[in-house]
Amino acid sequence: MTSPIKSEPFVINIGPQHPSTHGVFRMKVTVDGEQVVDAEMVIGYLHRSMEKLAEERTYTQNIPFTDRTDYLSSMSNNLGYCLAVEKLAGIDVPERGQAIRVIMAELQRIASHFMALGAFTNDTGAWQTPVMWCLREREKVLDLFEMTSGARLTCNYMRIGGVAFDIPKDFEPATRKLIKTLPGFIDELEGLLSGNEIFLARTKNVAVIPPDLAVNASLAGPMLRGSGIAWDLRKADPYCGYEKYDFAIPIGYQGDSYDRFIVRVEELRQSVKIIEQALDGLPGGPHSTQVPLALRPPKGEAYARVEGPRGELGYYVVSDEGPSPYRFHIRPPSLINLSVLKEMTVGGSVADAIVALGSVDIVVGEIDR
Amino acid sequence: MTREWSGEELAAAAERLVPGSVARITSNACYLKPETLVQTFTALRDDAETDFKYLANLCGSDYWDRFEVVYHIHSFDKNQIGLFKCETAERDEPVLPSVVPVWHGAWIQENETYDMFGIRFEGHPNLVRMLLWDGFPGWPLRKDWLSMPGGLQPGLNEFTGVARRQEPPVRRYEE
Repeated sequence: MTSPIKSEPFVINIGPQHPSTHGVFRMKVTVDGEQVVDAEMVIGYLHRSMEKLAEERTYTQNIPFTDRTDYLSSMSNNLGYCLAVEKLAGIDVPERGQAIRVIMAELQRIASHFMALGAFTNDTGAWQTPVMWCLREREKVLDLFEMTSGARLTCNYMRIGGVAFDIPKDFEPATRKLIKTLPGFIDELEGLLSGNEIFLARTKNVAVIPPDLAVNASLAGPMLRGSGIAWDLRKADPYCGYEKYDFAIPIGYQGDSYDRFIVRVEELRQSVKIIEQALDGLPGGPHSTQVPLALRPPKGEAYARVEGPRGELGYYVVSDEGPSPYRFHIRPPSLINLSVLKEMTVGGSVADAIVALGSVDIVVGEIDR
Repeated sequence: MTREWSGEELAAAAERLVPGSVARITSNACYLKPETLVQTFTALRDDAETDFKYLANLCGSDYWDRFEVVYHIHSFDKNQIGLFKCETAERDEPVLPSVVPVWHGAWIQENETYDMFGIRFEGHPNLVRMLLWDGFPGWPLRKDWLSMPGGLQPGLNEFTGVARRQEPPVRRYEE
């Protein structure tokens, strides 16, 4: 780029306290004029060393920790950890427990995607209105969580061997009422934004990730599917009986910010579809198997993963037959999705860097753990 | 369902592509030799049968007598997953080769492993303390970190109801 005006590189710190960074996350951007020439992330402000803490607590005591990693999708985190311990200890979950888990995980995906879409539109300049609409709908999902588990954000609802308690009798009618209204709202939201010229100008061809890079950089979730790779663990490696439900994997073609937005919108519709099927076929019976509180899984290691709202959420647990895990590792999708931060932002403008970061949908509690 | 390869299958594939690359195997994992690690992973990624193109998870583990780095690797097209490991017995200055030349996404996870275990990855573009600050004393996820005066070690020995540090003997992981 040649310009008659001379400019020199200049470092700007975006964050740690900045609305576009969605938490205490710092992006150190080197700019030359308006153009970004280098971007680096500075993280660790929220580091609590959960992996170390987990080595001193029993398997059941670790479940609340998993809520607090990705606080926008606590149910998915609970599920991933419980699946890992169940795989390690060879515990089966009754069918009703599995169906309840699926319903909760999909409701969580809806809540999390609403937050992601709202915050993303905020970053692109659709100031406050869409995010408030999304938060209004998300509140309704959180009300269902409160009804079931007593908590809105950190639900702590799943247990090893099932779920903590059965769903209350008001839950099913309330959920049916919600999923009846949700498709209309999703259409309205998409209609407002996907045809908006300013929104398209801000997101189309911004932060493009080619499919080769997406695979090579271990991206997951909507980041991967936005680049055109149809990979969804719910289809590829079904857990909790996902193979029984009929749903599609939405993918994008350009790999830009807009595609990631549209993939998330479409996933909302698919989640509604899954919840409907799961409620229709909700089996009776126990919601959980009896698991000893003093659980000592046999020696070995297990890696279980679920398709969380942000991508492959993996838990790697090693047992030495002790009461606490010998090693406890979380594969954090939002951290690993940031490995292409430089590729997404360099060459664009500062405003595009904000959009690129928004389209990743980061949760800093999960990045730092 | 994703097919999980057994250690023997993984070792056979690795030996076929790069002879002499396997150090030892267990029932579910294949330990690779550090000297030929990058070469082996490149071959496993590009081979049509293994097709391990996606590095799902990379993390470290401390077993007192050795450090392990764990690689969970996927293939999308074949829908299969393999568990590879690489180990070093060195405790003061553990060094293992970096797999960033094979998978770009490894840099962020290797950085975290360095931050928590102090394992230096040879060939990593920019190895820094990522979650902790420069000059942080020690490597927190090592088992001997925070050993208290009197030799108290982290971890539970019995179900006490309350998590607390226990007296030695130290829990050791034995196969």
